[in-house]
Amino acid sequence: MTPQTPTETSPIALPEEVQRFNLTFRIQHAVMAGSFLVLFFTGWALKFHEVQGSAAWIDLWGGPKAAGIVHRVAGITMLIDSLFHLGYLAYRAARGKLRWDIIPDWQDGKDAYNNVRYFLGLAQDKPRFRRFNYLQKFDYWAVFWGIFVIGASGLALTFPTKAAVIFPAWTTDWIWELIYVMHSDEALLAIVFILFWHFYNEHLRPDVFPMSWIWITGRMSVDELRERHPLEFERLFPGHATRHDAAAAAPPVADAAPDSTVGTPS
Amino acid sequence: MRTSKRVVWLSALLPLGIAWNTPTAQGDNLSCLICHNALEGTFTAQDGKPAHLHVDGEKYAASVHGDLECTTCHMTFVDNPHGTPEEEVDESIVKLSVAVARKSPRDPIALAACVQCHDDIYQEVRESVHGANILQKGESDGPLCLDCHGSPHEITRAEGASSTSPVAYRHVVATCGRCHEQKSISLKYGFSTDIIARYDESFHGKKYLLGGTQSPVCTTCHGTHRVRSQRDPEALVHGANRLKLCGQCHPGANEKFVAAITHKPVGKDNPIPYYAEKTLIILTFLVISACALHVLLDIYALIRTTLLVRKYRGKP
Repeated sequence: MTPQTPTETSPIALPEEVQRFNLTFRIQHAVMAGSFLVLFFTGWALKFHEVQGSAAWIDLWGGPKAAGIVHRVAGITMLIDSLFHLGYLAYRAARGKLRWDIIPDWQDGKDAYNNVRYFLGLAQDKPRFRRFNYLQKFDYWAVFWGIFVIGASGLALTFPTKAAVIFPAWTTDWIWELIYVMHSDEALLAIVFILFWHFYNEHLRPDVFPMSWIWITGRMSVDELRERHPLEFERLFPGHATRHDAAAAAPPVADAAPDSTVGTPS
Repeated sequence: MRTSKRVVWLSALLPLGIAWNTPTAQGDNLSCLICHNALEGTFTAQDGKPAHLHVDGEKYAASVHGDLECTTCHMTFVDNPHGTPEEEVDESIVKLSVAVARKSPRDPIALAACVQCHDDIYQEVRESVHGANILQKGESDGPLCLDCHGSPHEITRAEGASSTSPVAYRHVVATCGRCHEQKSISLKYGFSTDIIARYDESFHGKKYLLGGTQSPVCTTCHGTHRVRSQRDPEALVHGANRLKLCGQCHPGANEKFVAAITHKPVGKDNPIPYYAEKTLIILTFLVISACALHVLLDIYALIRTTLLVRKYRGKP
């Protein structure tokens, strides 16, 4: 547990795993995922009400009235979760424990370009990613867009008479159609995005199948960190070779536990 | 059950019944059903007016009017063969029968006869947009009693979740749709096209179609026998009346709230939601395409690395 000062001759002992997400972040993610699935399951049948089986599916949720209540409760849970996330980030920032490296920068664009070159066989190696790669950043920020568009329209649809008080009079000819379209079409985008993108990257990829357990444990094996986030690996464990084969030659230090704060997004 | 047995039994006497040529006895529909229960199809007489000959005796007996005699409504058919002069019928019924003849050409008297018992409803229908169109303007579009309530010999109660009545909660939207889904009628009378489709897409309609029992249907907002044009100041959905109407389910409904339901299709005449939807569809398409392409490239690279590069540096 004692942090060692890495030197050229004696680098910090390599742990088995590093912690990437603390319990609070994991709970936020679990609440987000759970409420997302409930919203997906109840909302899908509403959007595609004319499809055979939708009514039977809604019956499983206790009929349209009950399904509507479940949908609204899940939506408000998701909004509270999102607000909590922002508040928690602010809290950490105030205490100087927030690294701002989730914010996309120019390097992410270069990484994406180089990754596609690697995919096509035009580059020998994958780009060397930092703590969060461009895929993960996209995944993260997409939620902000979704929460804003779907959450705002969903609140208006949940409390329509209250929303009507706020809407300016000149919007009444189109505002209801607009928020309906926003809610319905953006939700479809969010669901298909999650099914394509998130499921592939975090569940179906051969190296994570059936899923990346990081959402439960918060920890990532140091080998995976070295493979997928080499620059973060180098930042945490200076002096260690990044290359997997080079590390395999180095003597493993199994009993050295990671400093639990080392890898958290702090 | 008894009726059908008797009908079967009496059917054997069918030729005899015709030969007798007697007026029907009071309280006995069998003289009519003895033939009409067995008859099928439509018969068109020399005057060109079609007669639907079949009456299902069992269904009639089970209907709300099952206790009435045939001649209560079919006043001019007391004789067999049918042919009593119309002078015997009450003058007001005859007058009404002329007005409704377009809707029931064979025996308009029988259609007009509804008012004998349902005069209160007749007064409502007469003032409604449906009734006025036929009775005052002489059009043939628009429903009278049977167009909504179905075959006069099979009318059942509309209450109850399992009611098969065309005006029961479960069926009334489809019943209204029989006319209101027709584009020609929508255009002729200047109400928005695709009304039923738009209702189906609305929150009210979706909830209804998914099995909702409290979501409003056509008649909830537009009324039943009193239905008015939305341009009629007395219509429930007209102007300020809407505040009260919507407020029944949505307390605190204001003018901006009640503007939500229009039944109008989203078209270029309402550009903001129209183009917002187009934009969102394009955005969805682009995002999903980019994601799918990225996933496919990733899979391609994974396969290539696994198959072709022997010394793959990743995990086994």
